[in-house]
Amino acid sequence: MSPFLCLRQLLESRLDRAAIKWFKEASAEIGDQVSGARFCALLSRASRAVKRRPLELTPKDRAQVAKVIDGWNPEYWNLLEAVRAALVLSRPDLALEGGGLAIEEAFKYGDEGELCALYRSIIILPDPERFVWRVGEGCRSNMRTLFEAAALDTPYPARFFDELTWNQLVMKGIFIGAPMWRLWGLDGRQSPELARMALDLAEERRSAGRAVQHELWLCLGQHAGERGLEALRLELDPTNSNTLGRRGAAYGLARAGARAELEDYLSRESDESVQAALEDALEGNTQSSVFEHLTA
Amino acid sequence: MRFLDPHIHVTSRTTDDLQNMAAAGIRAIVEPAFWVGQPRTSVGSFVDYFSSLIGWERFRAAQFGIAHFCAIGLNSKEANNEGLAREVLEIVPRFALKEGVVAIGEIGFDEINEAEERAYSEQVEFARKNDMVVMVHSPHRDKKRGIIRSLEIARDMEFPMAKLVIDHNNEETVESVLDAGAWAAFTIYPHTKMGSERMVEIVKRYGPDRVIVDSSADWGISDPLSVPKTAKLMLERGIDAEAVEKTTWQNALDAYSQSGQIDVEALNEKPAINQTQLFADNSVLRGQDPRVESAVPN
Repeated sequence: MSPFLCLRQLLESRLDRAAIKWFKEASAEIGDQVSGARFCALLSRASRAVKRRPLELTPKDRAQVAKVIDGWNPEYWNLLEAVRAALVLSRPDLALEGGGLAIEEAFKYGDEGELCALYRSIIILPDPERFVWRVGEGCRSNMRTLFEAAALDTPYPARFFDELTWNQLVMKGIFIGAPMWRLWGLDGRQSPELARMALDLAEERRSAGRAVQHELWLCLGQHAGERGLEALRLELDPTNSNTLGRRGAAYGLARAGARAELEDYLSRESDESVQAALEDALEGNTQSSVFEHLTA
Repeated sequence: MRFLDPHIHVTSRTTDDLQNMAAAGIRAIVEPAFWVGQPRTSVGSFVDYFSSLIGWERFRAAQFGIAHFCAIGLNSKEANNEGLAREVLEIVPRFALKEGVVAIGEIGFDEINEAEERAYSEQVEFARKNDMVVMVHSPHRDKKRGIIRSLEIARDMEFPMAKLVIDHNNEETVESVLDAGAWAAFTIYPHTKMGSERMVEIVKRYGPDRVIVDSSADWGISDPLSVPKTAKLMLERGIDAEAVEKTTWQNALDAYSQSGQIDVEALNEKPAINQTQLFADNSVLRGQDPRVESAVPN
């Protein structure tokens, strides 16, 4: 199924009659060729027809969505973003230079809500690597909503970012506390350099007397090395009062392949939540998505 | 008490100000586009400025539990750079209909000349066509004539007076504005414009209907707490609480919510600061722990 049809199905079951009517007219107008200014105006005006509320996918929707593009996941989109993405996809010239220029124009004049929708749309456009600089801009944003729209729930960064941009994205996400388990492809794109950057950040946090972000332990993988193992042991130490960090480190140790150590820690662990994490990790549940349930 | 400061340029204010404003009970603000002190030389500067009003500044205010709305427009002073003004007026519509934009403003007169009149008329016409509110800046020099001219032009264009807010009024101008049926806003600003004491006398004399108090705090010597301070003085001087609430909250809300861009219900709820949930950002927090769910003291 095409992304456009998928979005249209999601919208048809969620929008009221007036909103559907507005959307169909706007989509038809865009499909008929409009000026750049008019295209931007329609993206803006969508907020007057549709309010921001969660998309709330059903299990059936999720099954449909999974067939569109591997790694693309509108689970955390809002309805207005879905409308705007569908309007973007209504352009007949997306594969051409004119379509690309129109998207850039929309970025230039977009407000926060529009920018999020545009970032979320890029992976479902033809020839998405054209926009690699633009998505990098989103990942440099200090507005967390923009960062998340550009970086998370999409295979875009994993597929198109070079190593430096990818590593910077991962570290920035950890730094601002974005839910990095939603970064598609994190498990598949680990490296000694990413592990080094993460360990430097961990040491910087400790020098300043601050807790290490628990998702940082997702960045070592099999590249932890002796330095990484030492850092994980330090985090897992029973004297560390940051239980969330200890649970994250339990998975980190498993990701580093230190199974025997995990068993040893489990035999001595007294905190129930850390025990649960150690057991889960020993059962082989070490993919980043397990961090969805790691909360303080 | 809770307050709405319907005219403040927080672009020019620090995070200390935002903290103090939230602590003093300011729940919501309107930031109109204005002259930033240094004249701009290209339309790109306006694109970025308008973008920051609907983006970064809203985000920054949200970090402190303050709902940020804005007005978009070409100010009177820069209307005099006519070539640039033409380009800016072309991009105003691209920003004026974004979410959270409650008015066209601040527009109006500075020197009261033809170039300013053209920019003003064109923007009032845009507002009329798009059913928007207009926030009018009145000049420092020859204020009364400037206000009367702004009212006349709007009336000639059949712009609804209920959607016209004339700002920076004083004792000499208030009657013309109220008689015309527009909203009369007063800027409490040390040295120039109004002081709190004079404001008290105005409310005593003209009553609270269609009277709005604001700070217009900006890059000059000004006070972002003007609205709560004036409210306090009004109460001390015997103005009843209902009238104080009208002039420091409800009237501005009634005027600007005509835009359809203010979720009045959400604004009436007890605000909670949640610096992790909004557009949480390390560059604003700079290492502090986020303040989660602490209520804004009133």
